[in-house]
Amino acid sequence: MRRSDIVAKAAIAVLGMAALSLPAIAAESTKVALVPGGPHPYFAAWEKAGQDAMKDFKLGAADYRIPQKWELSQQNELLESLLSQGYNAFLVFPGDPVGSNSTVAELTENGAPVIATAGCLKEPTTALFCLGTDTGNSAYLGTKELIKAMGGKGRIAHFSGFLVDPNTQLRIDAVEKAAKETNGAVKVVQVITDIDAPEPAEEKINAYLAAHANEVDGIITTAWIPAVVASNALRKIGDKRIQMVGIDHDEVVLKAIKDGFVHGTMLQNPYGQGYIGSFALDKIRSGCKVKPDAPFKTIALTNRFIDSGTVFAGKDAVDNYVASMQAITKEIFANFASTYLSCP
Amino acid sequence: MASPTPTELDPSSELDAVADRGPLLSRESQTLRFLLSNEFGLIVLIAIFAGVFSLFTPGFTSPFNQFTLGRTMAIDIMIGFSMMVVIVTGGLNLSVGAIGVCAAIGFGWLVETLGLPLPMALLGALALGATLGTVNGILIVRSGLHSFIITLATMSIFFGVMVFLTHAEAFRIIPPEMSAFGKMRILSYVSPLLLISIAVGVLLTCLYRLTPLGREMLAAGAKAAAAELSGVRIGRTFVICHSLSGVLAAIAATMVVARNGAAIPSMAGGLGQDWLLPAVLGPVLGGTLLTGGRVSVFGTFLGSAFVTTLTNGLLQFRVGEFWLQTWLGGLLLLAVLIDLARRRYLARGGRRMA
Repeated sequence: MRRSDIVAKAAIAVLGMAALSLPAIAAESTKVALVPGGPHPYFAAWEKAGQDAMKDFKLGAADYRIPQKWELSQQNELLESLLSQGYNAFLVFPGDPVGSNSTVAELTENGAPVIATAGCLKEPTTALFCLGTDTGNSAYLGTKELIKAMGGKGRIAHFSGFLVDPNTQLRIDAVEKAAKETNGAVKVVQVITDIDAPEPAEEKINAYLAAHANEVDGIITTAWIPAVVASNALRKIGDKRIQMVGIDHDEVVLKAIKDGFVHGTMLQNPYGQGYIGSFALDKIRSGCKVKPDAPFKTIALTNRFIDSGTVFAGKDAVDNYVASMQAITKEIFANFASTYLSCP
Repeated sequence: MASPTPTELDPSSELDAVADRGPLLSRESQTLRFLLSNEFGLIVLIAIFAGVFSLFTPGFTSPFNQFTLGRTMAIDIMIGFSMMVVIVTGGLNLSVGAIGVCAAIGFGWLVETLGLPLPMALLGALALGATLGTVNGILIVRSGLHSFIITLATMSIFFGVMVFLTHAEAFRIIPPEMSAFGKMRILSYVSPLLLISIAVGVLLTCLYRLTPLGREMLAAGAKAAAAELSGVRIGRTFVICHSLSGVLAAIAATMVVARNGAAIPSMAGGLGQDWLLPAVLGPVLGGTLLTGGRVSVFGTFLGSAFVTTLTNGLLQFRVGEFWLQTWLGGLLLLAVLIDLARRRYLARGGRRMA
């Protein structure tokens, strides 16, 4: 056999093997990594959501992986590592709405679709879309509820999350907007941020209330830990004069609502984000595309936003909050594929 | 590497003393001295851990992981260098992160707001880093206070002024070639950022080994009074060390900008504190003395490379997120103990040979 024949046969054999291996690559099961910006109780529901999605949609994996600290570099390193470990689809809470874009682009360039989840990336981004709470709307609705509870007038203190969280500025603006609509009857007299961690929240909220509790009539909290700390503080003060609307579903907040120290809370839907997001990533990996004309909402950071749902829960609804969030998840999920995806 | 100059050796160390026989060194003694060095210890440790990670985690040797490992390593090495050049004087620069963030934001402002071309903006960022470093140096020399106190204060001042001026807004319109550079892969495995760190390491080695200024820095750090009697202008030398630290922090910052494709105020955490651990770990593991007077550029390079490799490997091992720091601490301790045992074993052999 001539050398050229051997080379030709070898080339055919290699091409044949490559062709045979292609379907195997295409059929590789979806391995979703659900990656928050750092450790935070809000994201705990993602773990269960991933497990349920893995079971329901027969995914290869849907693992909740947490960066050990709220540091952009730590999250970047974790995401890069997960890609090397074989994860091929990502739900990511961006550590920074601008700075995370570079890593997200690297993930998508390597064939792993990404959905910005619970927080959005600033456009232009290679993320498919943003699935999260319309935080501005949630803060706005919560403030409206608070104003109603305050009798339409008074002074509000606003306790919020990290300034590097893309949602924080949206929340500050929304609270301000709701107050302005009262034509001066309600004023936001204090905004305290960067306190979505126990130590700074305890220190700043307690110090503020110790000095100024008599000067405020209402408290709106738009981050998990400030809601917990403020609920405890109001319980300690024991004065139910100050109205408060919290956020999320920590037991401390829910109990304070039942006991009348807190007026209510704005529930978000982290479980739905993780569950529906994992489903969407699997669909995308199996050939579906995001509809260019899908009815996305536009918010400050992106024009491809899907609201994962928010609802106010007062004293009467606090016992059924799980059912109400499940109902929202079910409702969004029922029409999700037909509304946002076009599948072959 | 050439053998270290006398000022680079720690005379208090019994182990180094065994290795340091001055001009009477035989070939065996020279070999023993190299085997006893921090640098050799780190090379062995990196080889051991890289071997373990390669064997037990399939992703560790993948081209993408090696590329990202090199990129992260490059930045940590440069941060380590920026601290190392001040540790040489027996001081510390706690404001490396704050200077880095200021330089990054300055770079973003120059390209996005002023529209300067990339090379000019890069030079501007380095000049800003040098200026802030010089401010540190002048304050330390004029006040006579320890650099720890001064740089602790300037860390807050530099970062605070930056946040006040920018309102913590990021600059994201970075020249595309800069972002492309951050993502570039050479032969699929190597980040060009690592080549920059290697080049800077070579330049720093030349500075300390071949130039009078470098030797003055080491002499001033070893014993300032004696150096002054020999004609070294201590104050000027210390200021230059801090200026150099500022420049190196600025280089690290522009590397982070290339990596992130944006200049972000939170890139090094609040007050730039996230940079402090890599800044100190690299030089200290590499054998740079905290008391000053001795430097190991190659050791700093290897020290930073070792910590980055450990972190990357542990992530690949899927160690539980909240256990990562514990494992990292445990492995570092294990590594130090292995290294100590190695040096003791070889030192005993050296004494028998002598």
